[in-house]
Amino acid sequence: MTKKTAFWIFLLGTLSSAVLFLALTWDTHRQVVALSHADKIDDRVVAGKRAFEKYNCNDCHTILGFGAYYAPDLTRVSRRVGDDGIRFRIRNPQAAFANSWRKMPDVHASDAEIEDMVAFFRWVGEVNNNDWPPQDSKKRLSRGEQVMVASVGVSPGAAVFQSKGCMNCHSLRGTGGTFAPPLDTIGRSLSAEQIEHYVRDPKSVNPNAKMPPQKDLTEREIDEVAKFLSSLK
Amino acid sequence: MEYKSQKIAYWYFAAALPLFVLQIFLGLYLAYSYTWTVPQSVVDVFPFSTARAMHTNLLVLWMLLGFMGGTYYIVPEETRSEIYSEKLAYFQLFALLATGVVALVGFLFGWTQGRPLLEIPRPLDFVVVVGALIFLFNVGMTMLKAGKWTVIQGTLLGGLIFLALLYLFGIPFYKNEVIDWYYWWWVIHLWVEGAWELVTGAIMAFILMKLTGVEREVVEKWLYVEIGLFLFTGIAGTGHHYYWIGAPRYWLWIGGIFSALEPLPILLMVIDTMHHVKKRQAKIVNPLTWTYAVGCAIYHMIGAGVWGFLHTLPQINYYTHGSQVTVSHGHLAFFGAYALLNLTTFYFAMPKLKGIEVYDDSRGKYGFWIMCIAMMLMGLFFGVAGVLQSYVERVMGMGYMTAQSYMRLWMGVVFFCGISFLAGLLTTVADLLTLRPAKA
Repeated sequence: MTKKTAFWIFLLGTLSSAVLFLALTWDTHRQVVALSHADKIDDRVVAGKRAFEKYNCNDCHTILGFGAYYAPDLTRVSRRVGDDGIRFRIRNPQAAFANSWRKMPDVHASDAEIEDMVAFFRWVGEVNNNDWPPQDSKKRLSRGEQVMVASVGVSPGAAVFQSKGCMNCHSLRGTGGTFAPPLDTIGRSLSAEQIEHYVRDPKSVNPNAKMPPQKDLTEREIDEVAKFLSSLK
Repeated sequence: MEYKSQKIAYWYFAAALPLFVLQIFLGLYLAYSYTWTVPQSVVDVFPFSTARAMHTNLLVLWMLLGFMGGTYYIVPEETRSEIYSEKLAYFQLFALLATGVVALVGFLFGWTQGRPLLEIPRPLDFVVVVGALIFLFNVGMTMLKAGKWTVIQGTLLGGLIFLALLYLFGIPFYKNEVIDWYYWWWVIHLWVEGAWELVTGAIMAFILMKLTGVEREVVEKWLYVEIGLFLFTGIAGTGHHYYWIGAPRYWLWIGGIFSALEPLPILLMVIDTMHHVKKRQAKIVNPLTWTYAVGCAIYHMIGAGVWGFLHTLPQINYYTHGSQVTVSHGHLAFFGAYALLNLTTFYFAMPKLKGIEVYDDSRGKYGFWIMCIAMMLMGLFFGVAGVLQSYVERVMGMGYMTAQSYMRLWMGVVFFCGISFLAGLLTTVADLLTLRPAKA
């Protein structure tokens, strides 16, 4: 290999990669508007981001996975602890982490700043980021359900059925509510797909149905509970 | 030392070393806070976030001082001329140090831009930009006046301009967090896996050429191929940071493929170094400088190459992203690629700047091995903690602090590795600052 060949390797390698990278950067800008719901970034959210940076929160917490790794990731914090949970932790870290061996500083944020940050976290929580972090994924079972599956050995669908309040109305083998029909042999008449459809929107199947659409269930939970019920024959 | 103005380098090195020591003290505070409870009253005054900002900014500051000093040492020999203006070089050192001190003290009082690694407040950013421009002007003018271009100095200057240019993307306030992270990585990733690698390539090529007496033609040919591969894989490889920030899905495979190739140029560097060792024309004068150069190539390969590759594929990264696995990689990579590079440069240049031909390396050897072993163990234990975290928190879905309780033991072990590292570092710094000729 001559020095000239080496030079061309350098030039072509660098240029091809740079052109690809810049082209994708342009396209990313185009797509991020929809992926991040950029239209929902109002003054509150921007002020929340400024407050988040003012108190250097990101040098303990990660957000979207970046930052320091000292405290929990905040990408889905709205979903995990709720707006009040966020307010309480920022306002009273001494009380919130009294029994924890990891502490959070009291930054003396104003009430307005706390509300701004709540809005900021709510916006970040809706960013379409390929379903990360896994522990807050909509494609997974909840922690309680996972514990049931692991400790009592029930099927994931049965865990969802027991923990998500289905038994407040429905019964199985005589246990449960009497408000709605027992489901002991539901699998004889309905397939998993039909059950899934019904759970999502009961009124589209039966206009007189009293059951509300199950909006709080994740995709994975709906899938599992439908599989479980269709097996009851 | 062949040129008078090379002595500028000495002051850059001498300024960098104490900052490195300070960085490690703050690192120990971080590891301590991670493992044991720090009382609320202390946390309110000196939180983890402040110490972390200082730890990482000190890293950047001392490494940049090392690179700049290295540049001031190399450029006169490459161009066969004195530096354009010594005064500007000293002024710029002073400006950079002053900015650094103001920033560090500012952090203590909550003066921050609030984005990790880019915490320096915006007004100071502009001082940094002016300092960088002075530096580039000074180095560029030296090369221009000498009218003698070599691939080594071209790469060095190219890397430094690239470095300064990218810094600009970290200055604006972005309203959208996704776009913010997108450009944040233009600074961070394209620095460490682009611009800094060019600087490394150039400095290593220069030192290897001087140490081994291998022909310039051969060295420069390799340098072209290395930096070509570094940029080919490194630029689009930025995509491995875009998996989970809300960027389009294609970054998963673009980032996956290009970043999986990133170890290649580093491997090439190791082969290149070994090749030079074999083909060397000159006899080894200072064995410790040698050990450092070879150690740097190998550690660079392990820390940046292997450790980076382990969690760069999206299927794995989904579970390890933002965990202590990243911390493990970060420590090994920065130490292997850049801390050892700077120390190689220091051990190469400082004896010459002091007019010592063969130096006594009895203490230096201890420093090297203690630091290398302590950091390797630290990387391993951070890694154990990270794998536990990925499993307990990400796979099992348990709470953050539950996962932390499993990791606590390993973070404690890291703290003690850190103390050993500090011992090795203090030995090294003391040795470098008081180099003496070997007994004949």
